[in-house]
Amino acid sequence: MRQLFSFFLLSLVSFSSLVSSTSAAAADYHEQLVLRPLPLSALLASFNFRSNTSLSEFEAHNFRFFPRSLGQILQHAGTQELHLRFSLGRWDSESWGARPWDGAREGGTGVELWAWLQATTDEEADHKWLTLTNALSGLFCASLNFIDGTRTTRPVMSFQPEGDHLNTTAADTHLLYGVLPHEVVCTENLTPFLKLLPCKGKAGIATLLDGHKLFDASWQSMAIDVKPICPVGGECVLQIELTIDMVLDIDRSKRPRDNPIPRPPPGHELPCNTSKPYHSQDTCFPTDHQANQDWTLSQIFGRTMKGICPLTDPTIPPVCLHVPDSRSVYHSDGVLEKKNLDRVSRCFEIKPDVDFEIVLPAPEDESAVVVKPETPLLYAERSFTGHGQERGGVQTILRNPSPDTEVEFIYMESLPWFMRIYLHTMSARIQGQTAKNESLIQEVYYRPAVDRARGTQLEVRMRVPPASTVFLTYDFEKSILRYTEYPPDANRGFDVAAAVITILSPAAYSLRTTSLLCSLPTPDFSMPYNVIIFTSTAIALAFGGMFNILVRRFVAADEGPEVGLAVLKKRINERVGVLVEKFKKGKGKKIETGVGQATGEVNDPSVETGVAKE
Amino acid sequence: MPRLLSSALALRRDPRILKIPPYLSLLCILVGAVWLFLLPLNEYSRRTYISENALLPGQVHTYFGGSDQNVLRAYKQEVNSLVGKSNVEINDKLESIVKGLGLKTARQNFTYSAAGRTFEGENLYAILQAPRGDATEAIVLVAAWENVKHELNKNGVPLVLTLARYFKRWSLWSKDIIILLSPDSIAGPQAWVDAYHDAHDSSRVASLPIKSGALQGAIAIDYVQEHRFKSVHIVYDGVNGQLPNLDLINSVVNIAGGQMGMGVALQEMWNHNDKYPDRLRTMLRGMLKQGLGLASGPHSSFIPYHVDAVTLQPFGEGWQDEMAMGRVVEGTFRSLNNLLEHLHQSFFFYLLMHRERFVSIGTYLPSAMLVAANFTIMAIFLWMKSGQPEVPAASTPESSDKDAPTPTAERDLFLPLAVVALSGSLSVIPLYVFNHVPESALTPLFYLFLVINTLLPISISLTTTKLFSPTLQQYHLVKSFSLLLLGMFLSSLATLNFSLAMLIGLLSAPLSFVKPYSSPVSRIVGYVLLNLTSPPAVLLASAAIWGLNVGDILREAAVAWHVTGTTSAVVVWCVWWPAWLAGSVCVLGQPAGQEGKVKRA
Repeated sequence: MRQLFSFFLLSLVSFSSLVSSTSAAAADYHEQLVLRPLPLSALLASFNFRSNTSLSEFEAHNFRFFPRSLGQILQHAGTQELHLRFSLGRWDSESWGARPWDGAREGGTGVELWAWLQATTDEEADHKWLTLTNALSGLFCASLNFIDGTRTTRPVMSFQPEGDHLNTTAADTHLLYGVLPHEVVCTENLTPFLKLLPCKGKAGIATLLDGHKLFDASWQSMAIDVKPICPVGGECVLQIELTIDMVLDIDRSKRPRDNPIPRPPPGHELPCNTSKPYHSQDTCFPTDHQANQDWTLSQIFGRTMKGICPLTDPTIPPVCLHVPDSRSVYHSDGVLEKKNLDRVSRCFEIKPDVDFEIVLPAPEDESAVVVKPETPLLYAERSFTGHGQERGGVQTILRNPSPDTEVEFIYMESLPWFMRIYLHTMSARIQGQTAKNESLIQEVYYRPAVDRARGTQLEVRMRVPPASTVFLTYDFEKSILRYTEYPPDANRGFDVAAAVITILSPAAYSLRTTSLLCSLPTPDFSMPYNVIIFTSTAIALAFGGMFNILVRRFVAADEGPEVGLAVLKKRINERVGVLVEKFKKGKGKKIETGVGQATGEVNDPSVETGVAKE
Repeated sequence: MPRLLSSALALRRDPRILKIPPYLSLLCILVGAVWLFLLPLNEYSRRTYISENALLPGQVHTYFGGSDQNVLRAYKQEVNSLVGKSNVEINDKLESIVKGLGLKTARQNFTYSAAGRTFEGENLYAILQAPRGDATEAIVLVAAWENVKHELNKNGVPLVLTLARYFKRWSLWSKDIIILLSPDSIAGPQAWVDAYHDAHDSSRVASLPIKSGALQGAIAIDYVQEHRFKSVHIVYDGVNGQLPNLDLINSVVNIAGGQMGMGVALQEMWNHNDKYPDRLRTMLRGMLKQGLGLASGPHSSFIPYHVDAVTLQPFGEGWQDEMAMGRVVEGTFRSLNNLLEHLHQSFFFYLLMHRERFVSIGTYLPSAMLVAANFTIMAIFLWMKSGQPEVPAASTPESSDKDAPTPTAERDLFLPLAVVALSGSLSVIPLYVFNHVPESALTPLFYLFLVINTLLPISISLTTTKLFSPTLQQYHLVKSFSLLLLGMFLSSLATLNFSLAMLIGLLSAPLSFVKPYSSPVSRIVGYVLLNLTSPPAVLLASAAIWGLNVGDILREAAVAWHVTGTTSAVVVWCVWWPAWLAGSVCVLGQPAGQEGKVKRA
């Protein structure tokens, strides 16, 4: 039944593609897995799923291969082009060479999102961006809703739209870019990702995507790209491309899941260099683990591939493997192996409902184990300089390996507001030269931070001459946060997003540096702080008292002028006495003059003394 | 009430009350000193505890062992074959081994010069990138080729290589692990840490070609002995008396002592019975090391950068082997790996007296503060005294009580300030000279300085007497200012380096009680006695007690000054010595017109 159904579907797809090929590239879908063994027992697996839907059908809410959940969000938020990245780990370009897809399908550690939104004003764009991030946050179980104003920038030079935007002008298209470096990508993000696929994770190459393996990878990046494509003379289509790239450590992946602890192997299983003179039963110089390139698909991914997705374009082979032609590769029945003309890759055509498995035995020829990776156009490494809690610096080392070609690129940083950079300290110098080289930096776009409202945005167009290394450095000051602004793990430090390097010439290529951990001055209300406070208080009290005694002249009350309550009391008595006297005088002038005089006599001396002492 | 006040005021005029401050000052010193000796008692010290819950020390199974021992033996063979070779050859071989493990390696050259010597070498380090990490944090494993006593770290280096290979197999690391193999224990790690934080002088120390994230902790292994060991000695003193977070030490104690069942020793107390004398000895040794502020191992250089670090040294005859040591390191690294935040929970200021007993700053600080306060009290007392007229009232107390308050005497400040400023500025000379002359000149120069140091107060005293004929008031003011400065410096220093403040405070305590003596005999006796507590005399005496050469001590101090940036010399020469000089000048003082008055008194 299933066979029949898939056959029916397949024929339907091929029929429809036949029909539509003449009119336009209508709704179609294809998926491909490229396996590329890398040096040091690593394996790059690139999963790519691509589907198109015509723009008119999309606007009519007629989703076919395009995931409806995402499509509705895009329509609601007026998004014309969307790029979403979930990444983990670091790409080791020294060993692995150039990045897959020329770096176009990867992001920095954490989550990265950039989109072109249709809006007439900045406020409207911000509003739509808020809608978009919140909706995507729900869809992908990620904290995308934390991309607020402080984490959003509007890149000027770094990003160019990948799609064809015909009937829109620059004025009403807004590019917004947000990044969450601290977001930990995990299985909860993979599940919604798989749900966007037409075959979910049930058939085709997506069956190999297992959270345990994906998140054990040395480097992995999940990407979603939505863009309109308008072929010349054809109807515009909206294309969604889902990409997962991961670099698996073959040693680690081959460990059984029920026993993942890397216990030391028994002594006799240890590969030893027997040429060493001291080699014996209990002394073993281990041979390099680099040669470990024998694996099977099920060892690496923990399962075999369950047929092919019936909706996929049958003209595109679902699995390709980049190994030298000289290496023998075994595969399961019902699979057709096709070696490509470049002699370093081969593809496999798989019949539906066949469990696909390939086996790469240990190579006989040590020299042709892996295809030598391409050298990237640029190496970039970023790190903090300085120490302490007050100031710091950032240093990016950019190395151009090419002997004859100059590399021109845009270096973009989006820094949190609490890193206040000193733009005047930004300088670039070539390694070996002490003076800074003015000609390296060609253009700077800088948008300063606003405390608690906006992060710093820095875009630098610069160049690196052939075969040289350039140090780009700048200093910054760390600001003190309000105590409520510290996260619960304040002493961990604050993540600073990766810098984005977009190469303009000689070829389009992009790369990210690693993210950084910036430690801010963190209040510590624990013991030393208390001690300092207590000692300071004690000293202040002691000093205050001592100082007071020293500088004040003490005299006894009877010696000095009268001050304080006594005087006040006396004055009040005085006034009361005068009043009483007046009252008495007015009431009984005739009768009690003697008494009045007597009180006057009593009061008079004190009045005199009071005046005299003043 | 007025009666009480007037009687209090009468008391204030009572000459007896003015006699109290010196006794109060003495009491402060005595209480401060006794306080220190109370600390090891159970009532004043506390049991240690793990404050950072994330550490979970000793909660994981350790798997280092089995066939890893075969690998260790092979690496040991490789290391043995390198003995006696040059730094670069050693690094070539070690680099090839580490590279074979799949780690990224790099080297760094450094050159320090101090005391006419040049310390140069090449650090080799490797970064084991956290399998799923992103280079934001790192922990360091250090093995110097030779330890501080210049013994070959014959087991430590192979153990670190084997551990690197073992750690590479795990996928659970959340932080990068940096393996640092330095040629020596002080200069190499210092150069590396400085360069890691870009705090280095790039003319002497090369920058690091590759880096990782923020350092969260460091463990150094100093494993010299060839045979099996009994327990682990934790060395924790940092440069300038800074200490690592107590949680790190507690974790190691917990893992080595609790989980692995091997003992832990501190401060070279190989057999500690946890009784008062042993606790006191541990504490005093710790204080002495802290006071000196020298680097005590490869870990010391990390601590000023707020990277908590300790050195582990196996010692004794026992049945623990290298694998057990490796498991201690593994357990500690697993604990550090658990850290979500930088170590901050537990204490940074403490005195350890047993592996499970400590006193925190709140308990011990008052002793140093009391000693420092004695100087301030005396300074204030002398200031008050200097304000009283020189000629005491001949009339009876009854008549003076009725008089107007005694007028304050005019204070002549110029000469006292000049003397204090002079002694302060002179202090730059020994500080500079002892840190910049070659090693061979240190010993003769020291004895020369000893002579000059003895003659200097005499000459200053004679000159001032001849030129200015200072009064008793001026001598009081000289002493007042110098003690005020001393008290101020020592009380601030006590919060930074308690032990140094305490040591200097006790050694300079006699300065509180010196005064110009009238009779030449007592003046000379006083001066001789004071000379016994002068900084160079104390240096000489301590050299004799520990059987060291003065030249060696000075060389170590100069090296520490240039390489690790130890600032104890500043405290000795610029805080203690000027105070001593001013005190000596006071002792030798012959106040003008004093003869008759003293007789009358």
